[in-house]
Amino acid sequence: MGSVNQPDRNRLAAWKWATMAILLFVFIAGWYVPLNPGIIRVHPDKAVAGDSISLQITGYNSSFTTGDASARAWLRFEGDTVIKAYDVKVIDDRRVDARFYIPSAMPVSRDAYPLSLILDHKTDGSSVLPNALFVTPNPDPVASEEELWYQSGIDEIHEKEGIQYPFRNILAETIRNTYFHVPMWFSMIILFGVSAWYSLKYYRKGNMEDDRRSIAFVKVGLIFGVMGMITGMLWAKFTWNAYWSWDVKQNMSAIALLIYAALMVMRSSVEDDMQKARLSAGYNMFAFMLLIPLLFIIPRMADSLHPGNGGNPAMGGEDLDNTMRMIFYPAVIGWIMLGLWISQLVYRVDNLKETT
Amino acid sequence: MNRIWNLVSTEARIELRERYALTGLLLYVVSASFIVFSIWRQLPAREWGLTFWVIFLFCSLMAALKTFSRESESRYFYYYTLYHPLELFVSKVVYNLGLLLFIFLMLWLVLTVMAGNHFQRPGWFLTTGVMACIGLSFLLTLISSIAIKTQQNASLTSVLALPLMIPILINVLRLTSYSLGASPDENPWNEMSLLTSNISLVAGMSLWLFPYLWRS
Repeated sequence: MGSVNQPDRNRLAAWKWATMAILLFVFIAGWYVPLNPGIIRVHPDKAVAGDSISLQITGYNSSFTTGDASARAWLRFEGDTVIKAYDVKVIDDRRVDARFYIPSAMPVSRDAYPLSLILDHKTDGSSVLPNALFVTPNPDPVASEEELWYQSGIDEIHEKEGIQYPFRNILAETIRNTYFHVPMWFSMIILFGVSAWYSLKYYRKGNMEDDRRSIAFVKVGLIFGVMGMITGMLWAKFTWNAYWSWDVKQNMSAIALLIYAALMVMRSSVEDDMQKARLSAGYNMFAFMLLIPLLFIIPRMADSLHPGNGGNPAMGGEDLDNTMRMIFYPAVIGWIMLGLWISQLVYRVDNLKETT
Repeated sequence: MNRIWNLVSTEARIELRERYALTGLLLYVVSASFIVFSIWRQLPAREWGLTFWVIFLFCSLMAALKTFSRESESRYFYYYTLYHPLELFVSKVVYNLGLLLFIFLMLWLVLTVMAGNHFQRPGWFLTTGVMACIGLSFLLTLISSIAIKTQQNASLTSVLALPLMIPILINVLRLTSYSLGASPDENPWNEMSLLTSNISLVAGMSLWLFPYLWRS
């Protein structure tokens, strides 16, 4: 490492340039890559079996008038029970009218039938709105119309070309938060881990510099934790409709922050420097070991809205496609390196304050 | 072993001589449950378990507060020359375990008298309680050994200990609701093994760290 106090060069190290480049890439790509076209609203959203209805479909990010301004639409019940729109009219870039005849007889008997809407456009690609239309059964169905459900299949689906993020109905534009919220927690864990490592070093060697280093990492880790919490709360407001819903993951991360805040409070109430260093090294290692069940075991055992718990997918499946991976992985690396960089600066400032 | 027992019995004798300490703890238990009960009026099974552990939490903090402040600093210097820190630590843990078990049984008795018995599996609750007392006595003894070295002993004990107690407490709450029959289809052995590993983590870490923290 050499002497950290007085860097002998005025140039930044290569990994710091890399950090800035990666984060610049993450911000630009994270904010400016467009979303896939999607469907945000359908009107009306209720119908009775046997109706002939005209659905007004509102698209998001769409450009329906390009190409030959034609689109195809389907209503899908489940599996291959599909009805195709007999007429689809493009009104403008955002609006499409699709006319359906809903057969009066349904393939199975239920109280209500949620139908998904599938729209396919030559240049915009296909988009889906789950549970777009709720159909209530007809009191006197014509049995022969049940056939209509099996007559048309969904074929020749197009895909939009170019680079874009997937459109998810609950997330919409907030899907970009993946590059900011998730890496914050990764960085926090890494920083707390490095801090515990330096505490262990202090425990073994008794070098005051290791104590200062470990506290610098705790400070920056706390900031990353708070930022992860803020970005998470904003995201939760959009998707779960409340900033704080007492979700197990939220609670556990709040407790993790409380533990480290308690460490900082404890440090401020000890006067002797050696004593302070010893106590905080001990508490830090103790806390980090207890953090493992808190953050990785308990949330997995309870029901939760958060991805990765209670059977919800995370980091895979449809939420993180290959385009997003290209930005997500650099984002994780970039934020972690930024955290390490800031902690080093904090450590150097603290060191200067202590020794001069 | 003998030396540890010596320390424990000394502690116990000091405690019994100053009878106000134990009676104070007992009064704290009774009045806390009285206040809670007079607010709630009646306690259904689930709330019974929650109330129990909330009161237990604060009583155990109260009890642990005095772990190291009972004797003067010069006495500890004297102990330091006589005993290995681990012997001192284990004796304190054993003593605190006794106190916590006392609180546990007393609180159980008081709440049963006041709010009735809701248990379908009292054996499980007893096991859970003993496990929780073991884990918390390790944790609280370590934390109070840290807090005694700081300026605000009383408030720091709770600030440092409360967030660390939560993993144990969450397991204990699930096991309690199992023993109350509030969540019948859960597999308790799963929770119990998690609680056991959690407690052994706490015990191992505190046994490793205490000799280091105590040196000063």
